[in-house]
Order: sequence, then structure tokens, then C-alpha cells
Amino acid sequence: MGQLRLTATKYGAITVTNLQNQLAYVWEALNRAVFIVLIMFVFVQLWTAVYQSQGVTEIAGLSLSATIWYLLIAETMELGKMRHDERISEEVKDGSVAYTLTRPYNYLAYHFFNGLGETAVKMLLVFLLGMPLVVYYAGWPTIQPQHLLPVLLIAGLAVLLDFFAFSIIGLLAFVTEDTFSFRLIYQKLVFILGGLMLPLDFLPAWLQPLARVLPFNLTTYAPAKLFVAFTWAQFWQILALQAIWLTVFGLVLWRQYRWASQRLAVNGG
Amino acid sequence: MSNNVVNVSGLAKTFQVKQKAAGLRGSVRSLWRQEVREVTAVSDISFSLEKGEMLAFIGPNGAGKSTTIKMLTGILFPSDGQASVLGFTPWKDRRKLGYHIGSVFGQKPQLWYHLPAEDTFRLFARIYELDMGEFQKRRDFLVESFQIADLLQTPVRKLSLGQRMKCEIAASLLHRPRIIFLDEPTIGLDVVAKQQIREAIRYLNEQEQTTIFLTSHDAGDIESLCKRVVIINHGRLIYDNSTSALKRQYLRRKIIDVRFAEPLTEPFALPCVETLKQGTYGLKLEFDGREIPVETVVQQIMATQSCQDITIADPPLEEIIREIYKR
Repeated sequence: MGQLRLTATKYGAITVTNLQNQLAYVWEALNRAVFIVLIMFVFVQLWTAVYQSQGVTEIAGLSLSATIWYLLIAETMELGKMRHDERISEEVKDGSVAYTLTRPYNYLAYHFFNGLGETAVKMLLVFLLGMPLVVYYAGWPTIQPQHLLPVLLIAGLAVLLDFFAFSIIGLLAFVTEDTFSFRLIYQKLVFILGGLMLPLDFLPAWLQPLARVLPFNLTTYAPAKLFVAFTWAQFWQILALQAIWLTVFGLVLWRQYRWASQRLAVNGG
Repeated sequence: MSNNVVNVSGLAKTFQVKQKAAGLRGSVRSLWRQEVREVTAVSDISFSLEKGEMLAFIGPNGAGKSTTIKMLTGILFPSDGQASVLGFTPWKDRRKLGYHIGSVFGQKPQLWYHLPAEDTFRLFARIYELDMGEFQKRRDFLVESFQIADLLQTPVRKLSLGQRMKCEIAASLLHRPRIIFLDEPTIGLDVVAKQQIREAIRYLNEQEQTTIFLTSHDAGDIESLCKRVVIINHGRLIYDNSTSALKRQYLRRKIIDVRFAEPLTEPFALPCVETLKQGTYGLKLEFDGREIPVETVVQQIMATQSCQDITIADPPLEEIIREIYKR
């Protein structure tokens, strides 16, 4: 129990310290505030025009209000993502990985807890700043209180799945130093197949089954869709898929970490 | 039972380094044809380190010093050979070893950039699972030794290089490491700061038997801290002996500084003796003790004129090291 407490304190301190560090980036937070308000305004105008031009109140079972709330949650998930693959890449480039690798903690756990506080704050900020505009145009969300915890669970697992994916990308920095191109590819896959720009329900029928089994939608579409149209059937299905992909990514990461560690070449003397 | 805390046997490390021809054509060609050159950074080195020993591990740029330290701290996997640090294989037991070693890697940052050093110190106390009471005492001792009390509340980004380095080194010593790996720890520091750091390191070595593994281009670091020197060049060990033996073995040259009571009337000249500087009342000479004995030179000087003061010194350690690097 004592060791558990020490370990929890250790990683908790890492989370809190990075959070303090992030307070220095006030301007970036303000940027994010402006961005979410602008993007949500654009989305509202766009989808209002789409629904009106189609003369419908629902598309693929989603009302205009639900679509707008969906997009806010999707943007919250996307903008709150940990960018630790960039941090790993920077550490390798400037050589400070020499420090982060020689301390008595798990390297990937360090990066997880390092980014966790920041992710929570970013998500909260984006959601709270975007909400007034969304409430104004789309009204209050219709999610039932008893569905909030399951949605939060799915969102939490989405963060973890995303962390695994970006860790796989980040560890490539041990070999290639720069991971920008890999990150770009992953992000675009999330944009298209992850439901960031529009719910999977709006994709062509032939593409939807593939998009639903791939991991990309589990980090963005899944929590957002459950928030606006919760069903227990979809919840269990998503939970099962997240568990499968977490296992797959986890195994890949476990193997990759050893492989990458053996090939690490730290810059500088 | 062996008192060795570090054992290295046949350690080697090669890197695959990508090559690219200069210019736009070279950049385009490298897109589909990667040329790779194998670089041997460290080749078959073996040595041991006893508990409480202070070792200077030196060599010219690119010799393999930092690569060796990185293997011993577990950052790099070797291509061949074995090493044991405090009973651990560094690259396999990196996390366990982390509790017992401290490291300072030149100008690489470890303090949180936007936060005062104090915040990083507290974080390290948690990371190394220190008792907070003990941490406080340790912190106070290091703060006093490095005289950084008035820097602790300033964001690290606002500190000068020298101030930051002192805080960085203090941070590496908080958890009472049994071995400290210092890779160019005094780079960029002024004379006073260097002295403070050397004294703190010497104190830790004497009081806590902390083993010191130092790489430095500063001969002052080596002379003031280390009794043993290992020299590496082109990835191979070329010297492993005491610092005093290094000077005795490789240096026969002496420098004599003389202050005369009366002005010198004519240039001082003696075969096999080079006059480095001659003023009205002073003289600086250099000679090889194998070519002309010290007593002969001194006798000639005293025969020239009455001396007020005479100093016989060895040339700087840098010169010795420079000679060895040429091998």
C-alpha cells in the first residue's frame, strides 16, 4: 500500500507540475478560445444551411441540434488531445531524452501523466468556451443524467486510445527524430474516418462499416455520438471495440518500445 | 568482495549515420536512395570504478565519451560488450538504476522551463520517492553550497546559463545518488561558480562516498576533482592511470617564473631553454627536464642576477592532454 501511495504521488506530481507549466501558455489558451468559437459558428451556419436546403429535420437520425452538439464534443476531443509525440520528438532532437529516460518511472507513463492534466484543462476550456454559442443556436443538450458517466468512461478510454496511438507515433522519433509526417497522416485519418468533420452516420453507406471497426472513430465519433444519441447497445459495442483496439495498440507499443529503445541515438555529445 | 560499482567489459557502440550529398540534387536523391555509413563511436572498452572513486573520463570531441556515459546510464543499448553499474545492467534495469544515479548532461535542460527551480526540486522529491523531511534538509544543503537561494523563485527561463547550470546540478544531487555522471557540468560557468560546484562535489565524495564519473574539457575540473584519468580517443581507451602519473609520465617540461631585484641588462639565453617572456625585472622560461636538469637552469638564473622570487611549475594539464590526443 505504501508503494502504491508513493507511485500515485509520483505520477500525480508529474501531472500537477506540467499543469503549472502550462499556465505560462496563456496566449495559446486564448487562441484556442477564439478558434473554438469561430469554428463552431462556421459549423452552425454550414449545417443550418444543409438542413434547410434538404428541407429535413433529421439526417441519419440526427437533428440539427444534435449535429451541432456532436461537433462541439468532437472538437473538444480533438483539441484536447495530448501532443506528447511532439514532446518525445523534441526530447530526442535536443537530447533531453537523456534525462527523461534515466529517471525511476515508466517512460510512457511519465508522458501520459505529464499530458493528462493539460488534456483535462484543454477539454474543459474548449467545451466551456464553445458551449454558450452552441446553447444559443442549438439549445441545451438532451443527454440523460444516467448516461453521463458511461459517456465519460468512453471519453476517458478514447483519451487512452489516442495516447497509445500517439505513443506509437512518438516512439518512431527514437529512430527517425521527426514524426511530423506520421502525425499528419494519423490526424487526417481521424478527420475523415474518425468523425471529426461529420458524424460517421453521414458517410456513404459502403464506408460506414469499415469506419466503425477502425480505431479512429473510437477517439472522436464514439464519445460525441453517445453524448447526443445514447443507446446502451451502441455503448457496449463501442466499449468492446475500444477494449480490442487498446489491447492491439498496447501490444504494438510494448514491442515497439523495446525495439525503439535499442535503436535510439541521442543527439549531441 | 569486489568494491567495484562499475564494471565495463568489451563495451562497443556503432551507429548507422545517414549520408546525404550537399545541395538540392543530393536532397532529392536521398528521397529514394538512402546512403548509410557505419560509425564506431566506442570500440571494445573495459574498465572498472571503485566505490567513492572520482574518475575523469576525457577525450577530444567525438571520441566516444558521451556515448559511453549514455550506455552506462542506460540510455543507449551497446552493440557489444557488457557493463554493470551498482549491480544493474544499465540498459535493462534503467528504472531501478535511476533511483541510485544522478546525471548532468552539459547544456541539456532538465528543469521545467517556465517554472522556478524550486518546483522542479519538489517534483524530483516525488519522482525519487524521497522523505519530505530529508528532502528539505538535502535541498537546504545544496542551496547553500551552490548559493542559489535567491534564484529558486525565479522562472528558469529568466536565469543566466551559469545560474541555470547550478540549479541543474543541484537538482541531480537531491536524491543522494550513489554515482553521479557529470557530462561537461561546468561548461559556461564562471570561475566562482565552477569552484562552488567542485567543492560541493568533493564534499559529497568525502562525506557520502559518492562515486564521480566526470567528462570535461576543463582541466581545472580534472585536476581539482579526479585522482584517476581515463582517456578515450577514436572510441578506444588510450590511457588509464592516476592524474599524477599522467603528469609525471607525459610531462617533463617545466615553467620557471623569476622576479629579479635589479633590472635585467641583457637577454637571458641558455641552450635547451626557451624564453617565453622577458621584462625589465621578470623572466619566464620553459624547458624539457630530460634535456637539461632543473638545478642547472636554476643555478644559471641565480648566477645571472640576484632573485627576489622564483617559481617552478608544471605546464597546464591541457597541454598534456593535447599531446595524448595527438596519438
